[in-house]
Amino acid sequence: MIGIIARKELRELVRDGRLRLVAALVVLLLLASMAFGWRQAAAVAAEREAAQRTADALWVDQGDKNPHVAAHYGKHVFKPSGALAFLDPGVDPYLGVTLELAAHQRTLPRDAAAGDASSLARFGTLSAATVLQLFVPLLIIALGFGAWSGERERGTLRQLAATGVRPRQLLLGKAIGVSGALALVLLPAAAAAGGVALALGEGVAWSRLAALLPGYLAYYAVIVAVTFVASARARSSRAALVALVGFWSVTCLVLPRLASDAAPRVAPLPSPDAFAAAVKRDLETGLPGAPREDRVEAHLGTLLEREGFEGAENLMPDALLQGFELQAEAAFEDEVFDHHVEALLDAIARQERVSQWAAALSPYLAIRALSSGLAGTDFAHHRAFQTDAERYRQALVRALNEDFARNAGDEGWRYRAGRDLWARAPAFEHAPPGLGWALRHNAVALTLLLAWLLLAWAAAGFTAQRVKVVG
Amino acid sequence: MAMLEAVGLRKAYGDFVALHGLDLAIEPGEVFCLLGANGAGKTTTIQLFLGFIEPTAGAVRINGLDVATHGLETKKHIAYIPENVMLYPNLTGIENLAFFTRLAGRGDLDDAALRATLVEAGLQPEAADRPVGGYSKGMRQKVGVAMAIAKGATALLLDEPTSGLDPKGSNEFSNLLVRLRERGVAILMATHDLFRSKEVGTRVGIMKHGRLVACMATNDLSHVDLERIYLEHMHD
Repeated sequence: MIGIIARKELRELVRDGRLRLVAALVVLLLLASMAFGWRQAAAVAAEREAAQRTADALWVDQGDKNPHVAAHYGKHVFKPSGALAFLDPGVDPYLGVTLELAAHQRTLPRDAAAGDASSLARFGTLSAATVLQLFVPLLIIALGFGAWSGERERGTLRQLAATGVRPRQLLLGKAIGVSGALALVLLPAAAAAGGVALALGEGVAWSRLAALLPGYLAYYAVIVAVTFVASARARSSRAALVALVGFWSVTCLVLPRLASDAAPRVAPLPSPDAFAAAVKRDLETGLPGAPREDRVEAHLGTLLEREGFEGAENLMPDALLQGFELQAEAAFEDEVFDHHVEALLDAIARQERVSQWAAALSPYLAIRALSSGLAGTDFAHHRAFQTDAERYRQALVRALNEDFARNAGDEGWRYRAGRDLWARAPAFEHAPPGLGWALRHNAVALTLLLAWLLLAWAAAGFTAQRVKVVG
Repeated sequence: MAMLEAVGLRKAYGDFVALHGLDLAIEPGEVFCLLGANGAGKTTTIQLFLGFIEPTAGAVRINGLDVATHGLETKKHIAYIPENVMLYPNLTGIENLAFFTRLAGRGDLDDAALRATLVEAGLQPEAADRPVGGYSKGMRQKVGVAMAIAKGATALLLDEPTSGLDPKGSNEFSNLLVRLRERGVAILMATHDLFRSKEVGTRVGIMKHGRLVACMATNDLSHVDLERIYLEHMHD
């Protein structure tokens, strides 16, 4: 019974010339955006590889110099591409994929505030995610807004009701019919996505790609249900269309804008100047309750104890003590950086959470968070990269300072290390977190998307039971 | 047992009463023609039998089953042909017929059987594969009849099915009804056509302001008598 209805729906939709045109347009947009994303991702990957090689070469070939001077010279590291960035670039365009690491400083992503830019900004970069999240719902609305109201207007709903078909069967049949039409549009895109992922090669997180699929299907199922509810309840197809385009505008354009306006109120970020000033002040005087001298002294004490020089400062060669002192200062600075940067990143994370909770009002926000999370391009993934990079920086600086301490001997600051030492520094490795981690960081969005799914289909079932045949 | 039955059937919309306690029973093989001006309550009666609207009081029964409580089961017995049989314009005649017939639970009918039904209903065989969007009203009414035949309906609810048809189309339609009547189908038809009512109907009822004001068997009547009685009742 359901199959009969689904086939008839699909046949009607496929034979509608206007719908064929709209569907072709969406397919075109999807393929174009994916091709664009592919080129972008391939270019970024190539660039990154070249840049990483240059950066590594510059590091190794920096010539003989004092290890601490080398630490000042610094090193560039690059965020490995989320293999699915071609589908959903997430915050990559705003935060970049490179960090410069050097002694006495902790670099910040270039413009963290842009991570919360309004969805309108996303039209500028037509990613596959934009098409999937914003335009496919419009296609669903075009496919489904007349599903009930059209039958009522044409009078076929009376004919249907006279056959004794159950409303639930009609609802399911129509849903499958619309889904079938949608599948005709999305299957080529899904095949293309798989192809691009294969072409991009190594590091494709297939489990993540596989998880994206049910995520988007759930999102589309929500839109189908909302479309049916509007179509069944509206006085006319025209009214249904107006209501649905209104729903789309509010949930896809207005609410994301409001959410990103509300986020800074919930979790305000300091201005870049204020942030820099606060860091500078604390680097000079120490964090509240932990004066600079005390902390440096404490770090030095720990270091000396670890190296077995406790209480023997006077007997130590100058260079050795200076090397440890340098490292003790670096450890103190890291404390200050960590304190301020983690607070900043926590605030950004809270802003992200505001946006995720706003998904209670907008399924678009749910899929947006989930999609970039699964693609490995959301803020949480970026933060994981930054944390790894910072850990790497601290280890590198420590290794250089300790080399200075151990090997300078009588040469003191005239001591020079060379290529051997530079080459011994390990390469920066950042393994992107796993699927479970990504899902946990988007638990709110995931839960809200499922809630939307349940509620929307409950509403659709309820409405279908009570659909008015006449008048 | 009556195939179609209304007992004390009343329908009110706020203060406006569309139907004042109608009692009616139609046996298999009977054609009951409901006459009356527009707004007399004919369509309301038919929509109550279909369960599209709910009665304010009283009950409608089809084959002994109350429509209010057994809505879906009663649909197995009935076919409905409105003034304009509405079909899916993008689908062909045979596709429309196949869709509605299968929905009605007759998945056993194959393509050939369905085509035969369309021909039986008077549609030219070559029209079956054309989109219904290009059909005339008469052709669509024939698909409606084919739907009733294919479904094997034992009760027919017709709401002015011939209005707007040319005399030939109207005649063909009447002949189909006679054949269905002879098979034992119970038919309730709202109509303005006194001549056809006398030809096809076994009984006629005249409705006015929501009441059945007259009810008579057609074999006792001449065309002239029927027209006279009808006009008498239409005088206020």
